Amino acid sequence: MPSRRGIALFGARALAGAVGLTVAVLVVGAAAVVPWPTLEKAPASVRVSPVPTEQQRVCPGPLLTLAEDSSQAQAATSVGPADAAFGALATSAGSDWIRPSSTELSAPDNAKSDVDGAPRLLRVPVQDGATTAPLVAASQSQTAAAESLAGLAVAACAEAVSDAWLVGGSTDVGRTSLVLLSNPSTVVATVDLTVYGEAGQVNAPGSTGILVQPGSQRIVSLAGLAPNLRSPVVHVASHGGQVAASLQQSLVRGIEPGGVDIVGPAASASPTQTIAGVLVSSEAASAATDSTGIADDVPSVRILVPGDTAATVQVGVTSEAGQPAGSSVQVEIQPGIATDLPLAGLAPGAYSLALQSDQPIVAAARTASVGTAGKDFAWFEASGTLDDDFLVAVAPGPGPALHLVNTSDKDATYTATPETGQPVTVTVPAGESGTLPLTASARYLVSGGRTTVASVGYSGAGLVSSFTLGQAGPLAAPIQVYPH
Amino acid sequence: MHARVTAILVARNGSKHLERTLEALSRQTRQPDVVITVDCGSTDNTAALLASYGPTHFISADSDLTFGEAIAAAVRVTAPPESDGEMLWLLAQDSAPEPGALAAMLGELEIAPSVAVAGPKVMDWHARDYIHEFGQSMTPGGATVTLVESELDQGQHDGMSDVLAVSAGGMLVRHTVWERLGGFDPALPSADDSLDFCVRVRMAGYRVSVVAAARIASAGDGVAGPSGSSRGRARRKRVRAVRAAQLHRRLVYSPAWMIPVHWLGLVPLALFRSVGQLLQKEPGAVLGEFSAAFAAAFSGIRVSAARRRFAATRTLGWGSIASLRVSSAEVRRRHALKREASLTGARGDRPEIRFFAGGGAWTVIAAAVAGVAILAPLLGARTLTGGGLLPLSGTPAELWAAVGYGWRDIGLGFVGAADPFAAVLAILGSLTFWSPSFALVLLYFLALPVAALGAWLAASRLSHRASIRAVAAALWILAPTFLSALAAGRPAAILVHLLLPWLFFAGYAAARSWSASASAALLFAAIVACAPSLAPALIVAWLVSILASGRAVMRYLGIPLPALALAAPLIWDQGLRGNWLALVADPGAPVPSAAVSVWQLLLGFPTGELGGWTPLLEMLGLPGVHASILVPVLLIPLALLAAASLFLPGARGASLAFLAVLLGLGTAVASTHLFLSSVGSQSVNVWPGAGLSLAWLGLVGAVVFALCSMRRFSIAPAVSTVIALVIVAAPLIAALPLGTSVVQEGTDRTQPAFVAAEARTDARVGTLQIVPQPDGGILATIVRGDGATLNDQSTLSNTSRTISASERDLATLAGNLASRSGLDAAGGLADFGIRFVLLRPAAVVPTGPGSAAPASSAALETAGRSTTALDGDAALVPVGDTAYGRLWRHDAPAVSGAAGEIPRNAGGLLGLVFALVAAVVIGATVLLSIPTGAGPEAVRQANRDAIRQTARAGARTKKADARELKRAAKAKTPTVAGAEPAAGPDPAPDSRPDPADAAETESDAGAPAAGAPADDSTADDAPAEPTTPREEDDDAK
Repeated sequence: MPSRRGIALFGARALAGAVGLTVAVLVVGAAAVVPWPTLEKAPASVRVSPVPTEQQRVCPGPLLTLAEDSSQAQAATSVGPADAAFGALATSAGSDWIRPSSTELSAPDNAKSDVDGAPRLLRVPVQDGATTAPLVAASQSQTAAAESLAGLAVAACAEAVSDAWLVGGSTDVGRTSLVLLSNPSTVVATVDLTVYGEAGQVNAPGSTGILVQPGSQRIVSLAGLAPNLRSPVVHVASHGGQVAASLQQSLVRGIEPGGVDIVGPAASASPTQTIAGVLVSSEAASAATDSTGIADDVPSVRILVPGDTAATVQVGVTSEAGQPAGSSVQVEIQPGIATDLPLAGLAPGAYSLALQSDQPIVAAARTASVGTAGKDFAWFEASGTLDDDFLVAVAPGPGPALHLVNTSDKDATYTATPETGQPVTVTVPAGESGTLPLTASARYLVSGGRTTVASVGYSGAGLVSSFTLGQAGPLAAPIQVYPH
Repeated sequence: MHARVTAILVARNGSKHLERTLEALSRQTRQPDVVITVDCGSTDNTAALLASYGPTHFISADSDLTFGEAIAAAVRVTAPPESDGEMLWLLAQDSAPEPGALAAMLGELEIAPSVAVAGPKVMDWHARDYIHEFGQSMTPGGATVTLVESELDQGQHDGMSDVLAVSAGGMLVRHTVWERLGGFDPALPSADDSLDFCVRVRMAGYRVSVVAAARIASAGDGVAGPSGSSRGRARRKRVRAVRAAQLHRRLVYSPAWMIPVHWLGLVPLALFRSVGQLLQKEPGAVLGEFSAAFAAAFSGIRVSAARRRFAATRTLGWGSIASLRVSSAEVRRRHALKREASLTGARGDRPEIRFFAGGGAWTVIAAAVAGVAILAPLLGARTLTGGGLLPLSGTPAELWAAVGYGWRDIGLGFVGAADPFAAVLAILGSLTFWSPSFALVLLYFLALPVAALGAWLAASRLSHRASIRAVAAALWILAPTFLSALAAGRPAAILVHLLLPWLFFAGYAAARSWSASASAALLFAAIVACAPSLAPALIVAWLVSILASGRAVMRYLGIPLPALALAAPLIWDQGLRGNWLALVADPGAPVPSAAVSVWQLLLGFPTGELGGWTPLLEMLGLPGVHASILVPVLLIPLALLAAASLFLPGARGASLAFLAVLLGLGTAVASTHLFLSSVGSQSVNVWPGAGLSLAWLGLVGAVVFALCSMRRFSIAPAVSTVIALVIVAAPLIAALPLGTSVVQEGTDRTQPAFVAAEARTDARVGTLQIVPQPDGGILATIVRGDGATLNDQSTLSNTSRTISASERDLATLAGNLASRSGLDAAGGLADFGIRFVLLRPAAVVPTGPGSAAPASSAALETAGRSTTALDGDAALVPVGDTAYGRLWRHDAPAVSGAAGEIPRNAGGLLGLVFALVAAVVIGATVLLSIPTGAGPEAVRQANRDAIRQTARAGARTKKADARELKRAAKAKTPTVAGAEPAAGPDPAPDSRPDPADAAETESDAGAPAAGAPADDSTADDAPAEPTTPREEDDDAK
């Protein structure tokens, strides 16, 4: 029988224990519930603006056709010269236009380069005392009317890069796709091509270790690497020197030419892609969808997920008039499989495409035009945003127009000031798109935008083509450096 | 010739003993003819007692009078001696003569005219049949020796007569001789005054004799001769006085030509002897050692006066007293005997650990096997990599060069303080001197057994049951925070977990032992060096133990000193920056970790995801099982046991354990909010695991308390708790095979082979490492030689929030290299001595243990851009892709005096000062921590205390018997641990402390354990009444 003292002891213990436990629980609870402030100081860093350097642009060069002769099936010959427009402007206000120096690369793969010319290399040296590089714009155009090659092909003259996605082309029957690799640098570029198709990555012998000599252009037939591919996407990676890569696709329907286009590099893989100025002509819009695949006439968008995870992609189509045209499509895209999505039911006009994905993707759209003079098609690549003022050099061609997508969250009024003549303006609400008519062979300084996706589209009777405008010198953007 | 005796009684605040002395004086069979009492400024009723005795003369003097001066004052009031028959009897307040004492001594002096001084047999005040001291002598070196000391008097020394000297209290001296020699040397205030006098007496041709029949009791009040108190201050004062007296006598006795030699040797000798004092666990004596040395060095007048006085009366040579000295062999024999006796006592006092019999060995072996099993994939590794694991420098010399204030060879390098952790790494790396990096592999494989050993020993402080100790060891090695640290590659956190139980083990014993106290101080320093974030919590624990330590407070006060000495340079540097908070930043390589919620921390997981259960269950896809329910449920037994400890006996100890839990959790929660260091664009918070280790220590402690109190019902809850914890920790145990551990076998280098080869010819070859950051920026850092090492990491560098001019230059160079730029990089590369540029893979943001988000697109874009730009740079030649990233080479002629050379003597004077302070403090602590047993002074003290305890025991036995009866009535009343004398016969045989109750009175880090260990007795000037504090304690219960 417990003594009174024992009970008292027990009671005291229980009380003390309860008090101790309560204190512990209260302290722990306070630690968990109270939102304690976090002490965090940003690491020290320096924003470094790289010293400006000479600007270089390389134009793809004249349109090419493969030899008819089967013994020389890989030998390309040009079909006439390409026209070019180019210009440069120092970034300081009120400065004059600068004329870039223009030379030609050697094109040993083109048997007629001595006649039709070769890829044009434009250089703009850094102006004395300038702390930023000048703006440079250049483009080329060529309208072919040969037996097997007809149509309009325009292309931006681009900076050489070490990594590019070429979204477009086909090596199916009647289609010819050539990868053009121009090395403007002074060192040999070793290029690895990775070809993706509708069945995934293509094992293509000979696609790696392609040597491009300094100051020269190599022409690689895609069919030689990956024949019978309906929807190729080519990844170009170069080591050593950098290359300006583009892809020329031509089409022969039956015996008559079905058009030609030069596909420039698309924006690098990102979960969000924007395509500006997709031109749908009335004739093309009326064509029906083939049951076996997407007919050449149907507008479509080609998407590739370069990663390892399937992506859910939302494709939004907006007309430049402002109305959402067609329905927003959501598709799941398997990784590594280049997928063509038809964009049926679009009324004629200019559209912008917005692609939202949960994985990085690359994308480009294709439309066709059928006119009385012939047929043509064009590729519209997704392009990166322009963060500042930019130049546009309009190569000769029918009906050039500047297509703008304002990706910022504020309305923007764009002013395109030509070298001579009156400026034109357009106000584009946030997130929407707009058009500015341009004059062929003119050069414009476009200002007023903050984040813009832009392209220049050409459209005529049975002729359609486009090139994108990219941020000049993405390799020379200011960079945050954390020294240690 | 009729003898005439003048008794001189000197008293200072001596009412406690005076009564007995005066009574004894009045009962002398041969009454002194004249009694002169000298009151040295007493503030109690001493003066009244003296006056009431009715002395012939009563002198009131100042309180600062020494015994010799007081006697001299008394002698002045007497008439000058007319014959050899006039005697002076020197007495102190605590010199109680037995009735025949004066008669016996007088007889000796009357019989032999050549005898000038007679000394009594000085007995212990309390234990009257024990000899306190009997006769003094010197060693050949001049040190004082008491011939007989603290011995039971069985008449064994009664044959002694001629001695070199006698003690001052109770000495009978011929007045004429006293006058002739000029009394005691004023330069010897307490110690050796009578020895010196007797030596002069002998050298003047007289004899000194002891009279065994004359017995005088002495309490050692410190009026005549030094105080015998064992209180720290009195004791330190005594040691100093003895040493000062010895040095003074050395200078007085030595031939003139030897004086410079002795004088020059004073301070070096003090230094040398200090080492000995530390080894003998007498840290308090060090100060006295030096002050005595300096006092002797600057006492020229007193020495010369003493030398003159000595020379004036000296008639014989030193040879005349050589036979009276004690030989060195005899001195050694005496010490050896005493040590032997005391060490037995000292060891007997400690609770037996029974490492082998108690299953400790089996526990450690089991942990070792478990350790090898879970780390099996790393078997055969020579280095480890991943997380915060970097190699160490190649040689111990380099490791030690990275310690202290000086050149920090990280990045661009700078002059500043190293982290204290570098010292820990230097020690670790020196253990495996042939390959310092292997020390980390060893750390991994020994982590589990060492943790188990530490926990087992720590538990042995709280429980004597083998099963409970084994359970504590198991709970400790299964700590999620420990296993997380192993998986995350956090060497500092692993060390903290290994050292914490040792700190408890040593800190607990620090109340009793200087050796344990010094060990605790070293462990404290090591833990704070490994995890500065634990410093606040440990300081709180330290303060608590100071408050609880009572008389052992001196042994706790100094515990943070080595940590402070080690961190002093860093405190200096961060203080100059005003960045005090950065002092708690984790040392070592900064490793970003995923954010962890408070709930995860409360459950003990420093890396979140419930230690890997969340992803594991997702992977297994078991329906209806949620990690967020499963893990807390499995932890319930542990929580219940810990909570129960608060309600069971031993709750006081458990509440201290809970304090540790709360401190640890607080530290952990605070850690997650302190982003103090950074790597690139990512801020790095303090690792919360160190705080969780402390919390876990408290938790395991509480569980041990609970299990102890549950007695035979403890097995089932203990086993179920351990099994549940094994399940909880399973994903962490299997972290290596599951791939959630970032640790893997490393290669010998952290740079591409190409650079490593170059580093073999040029050890300072610079490599610019560029790491693309998640925000699209780049981290630019210069690595010299064959790569970054763990010991070169610096929190001073990691917590810096400013950019120096040279860092700005480096940033400009790196920014341009990573961009298409018109900058000619060759100049910049040469300026920084950069021969290679390495573009490392993009940095990733961690999302959980062992997992990270894929590199952001901005980082990948930056990586691509940098590759392009570097490829196109004319100043660089591509080397190719390596395991560490893409490498470029800059071929440039070697520039003489290139950047990157370590400046000589970078630390300067400041570095030297810091190094000296650290060396002295840590060196002294190390000396103190070596368990050499007790020093001779402590042994002497222990013996005296033992005698006193014995004397009291008789009186106490009666009381104890009465108590036993009372005790039997109660069911169980705990006995107090400790409080038993080391060497004395113990009347209470049931002193085996009940562990729970021991802990109840002895707090977490040591408590008023009033035990009487041999190396420092805590017995005291307790009241003469036989009621000891111990009994009061018992009664209070």
